[in-house]
Amino acid sequence: MAISEEQVRHVALLARLALTDEQVAEYGEQLNSILEHIDTIRQLDLEGVEPTAHAVDMVNETRADEPLPCLPLDAVLLNAPEAEDGAFVVPRIVAGGDEA
Amino acid sequence: MAKDRLASALERWEAVIGLEIHTELTTLATKLFCGCPVEFGGQPNSRVCPICLGLPGSLPVPNQAAIEATVLAGLATHCEIAEWSQFHRKNYFYPDMPKNYQVSQYDAPFCTDGWVEIDIEGDGGPQRPDRDGAYTTRIGITRIHLEEDTGKMIHVGGAEGRISGATHSLADFNRAGTGLIELVTEPDIRTPEEARRFAQKLRLIWLSLGISDCNMEEGSMRVDANVSVRTRGESEFGVKAEVKNMNSFKALHDALAFEIVRQAEELESGGRVVQETRHWDAGAKITSSLRSKEEAHDYRYFPEPDMVPFEFTEEWIETLRAVLPELPDDKKKRLMTDYGIPAHDATVLTGEDLAMAEFFEAAVTIAGAERAKAISNVMLNDLSMHLNAAGISLAESKVVPSMVAELVALVEDGTISSKQAKEVFAEMAETGDSPGAIVELRGMKQVSDSGAIEEVVDRVLAASPDQVEAYRGGKTGLMGFFVGQVMREMGGQANPKVVNEVLAEKLR
Repeated sequence: MAISEEQVRHVALLARLALTDEQVAEYGEQLNSILEHIDTIRQLDLEGVEPTAHAVDMVNETRADEPLPCLPLDAVLLNAPEAEDGAFVVPRIVAGGDEA
Repeated sequence: MAKDRLASALERWEAVIGLEIHTELTTLATKLFCGCPVEFGGQPNSRVCPICLGLPGSLPVPNQAAIEATVLAGLATHCEIAEWSQFHRKNYFYPDMPKNYQVSQYDAPFCTDGWVEIDIEGDGGPQRPDRDGAYTTRIGITRIHLEEDTGKMIHVGGAEGRISGATHSLADFNRAGTGLIELVTEPDIRTPEEARRFAQKLRLIWLSLGISDCNMEEGSMRVDANVSVRTRGESEFGVKAEVKNMNSFKALHDALAFEIVRQAEELESGGRVVQETRHWDAGAKITSSLRSKEEAHDYRYFPEPDMVPFEFTEEWIETLRAVLPELPDDKKKRLMTDYGIPAHDATVLTGEDLAMAEFFEAAVTIAGAERAKAISNVMLNDLSMHLNAAGISLAESKVVPSMVAELVALVEDGTISSKQAKEVFAEMAETGDSPGAIVELRGMKQVSDSGAIEEVVDRVLAASPDQVEAYRGGKTGLMGFFVGQVMREMGGQANPKVVNEVLAEKLR
């Protein structure tokens, strides 16, 4: 199966990537080679094989509910292009709703 | 919202409501995947670390207590607990999460297929024309999963902190990464009152479990509703709207009532309902479309690679089941069996606030189980009215269990009449003085001494020879007149039972 130019643009939009027409063609080709590889895998008989959720064979890794030190504010904001009253400044949000 | 508009809409239309309830695990010491403390408010970004800031190279590790809290929530709501589950990443671009994804659960949530039963009484009954008065109904729970809460955004420069018109926004990640359980119900709810009762019941279950403070105003419990209407008898669902921003139980009820009427009237006038998200404005008492640009939601969920899956054994689940506290349904049944109070009393005492049942049991412990019904009466009537009128919670009231126990005892031993008890209650609620002290101070003691009552009875009878003759001639209805005269003479302090006895004796 081949990915269409339109699908490449949709995936780029979801990832908030601005692609030139040349890049759409270039990445479309790369994505297609990945999909071809998946088609190859599909030819295997995978009946009864559980999907792999994780590469390591471990479960139930948790930690105790015990507080640890937080970062000092100057370290928190060290890489922030702009800060105001201890908060990160975010440019005007043109569209978008609140997420739960 | 005029109640009759809702009632009229619900006669013709059946509402179909499903709820999505997010509850922050506020009683945990730390966030879901890092050791930052869980608190409300505070200096922005004072409780963050490389993990909840999503800094490169940081590795999240799930909080064992958060996993247990979620499984307890599932057990308390009759859910199946998954033998195998995992976290997923939900990808979206919004600055309330520093990582551009939220760790949540997708096709393998911890809990599925549960239910909660709710009792509908009073004003709620008439909202269901297909039911007769008070009823109990079961609301299915689709799933409960665990995820991390987002940070808080403050929009600057626009009107009333709104996002539209803002020049820029401020991101505070103190809340980001706090454990959040999301419960989704089946579309089993049919009225605004059922929705309110369900949310209230769930809050009490969560409070009993001690997993959250469930403060709706501070947002630690947030209820969103999907609502549609269909003609009665129809089995297909109508087009639904999602209603958000209801930060009290009353707001939940009123927003749904508004939305049901709006959809019914839209359809009746030949219009149609659009699938959209609507925002409840508690001031204007309306829902309005958020008019956000139609966006294809494609969260591209994939298994969280930084954390390994979970396998819950039957033994582990049973150890959690064994530590479940007494839940509201059990408490209601126990109050009925242990103290012999009617179902209605037990429903009210356990239905809205955990403190009510605690208060009741404390008062009964002092006054004795034989006075349980009398205590329940005082709580359901005088105490509830007092709390409503003053607009305060039980904890804020000056009335404590020992005062109600003493008041009930004073009535039962005949020291004061039940009419006087109402006055004593009003005074003790205001001053916090003990009933005994109030009775003493006000000289309110009921006179049960038959000698003193006889004296007054003699005087009253001597002053009303005509009525006495009429009574003896068969007009026995005049007894009320004599009792009234005696009570008036005695300033309302005579024991009515003794007055009746003495009068009956003297008039024979």
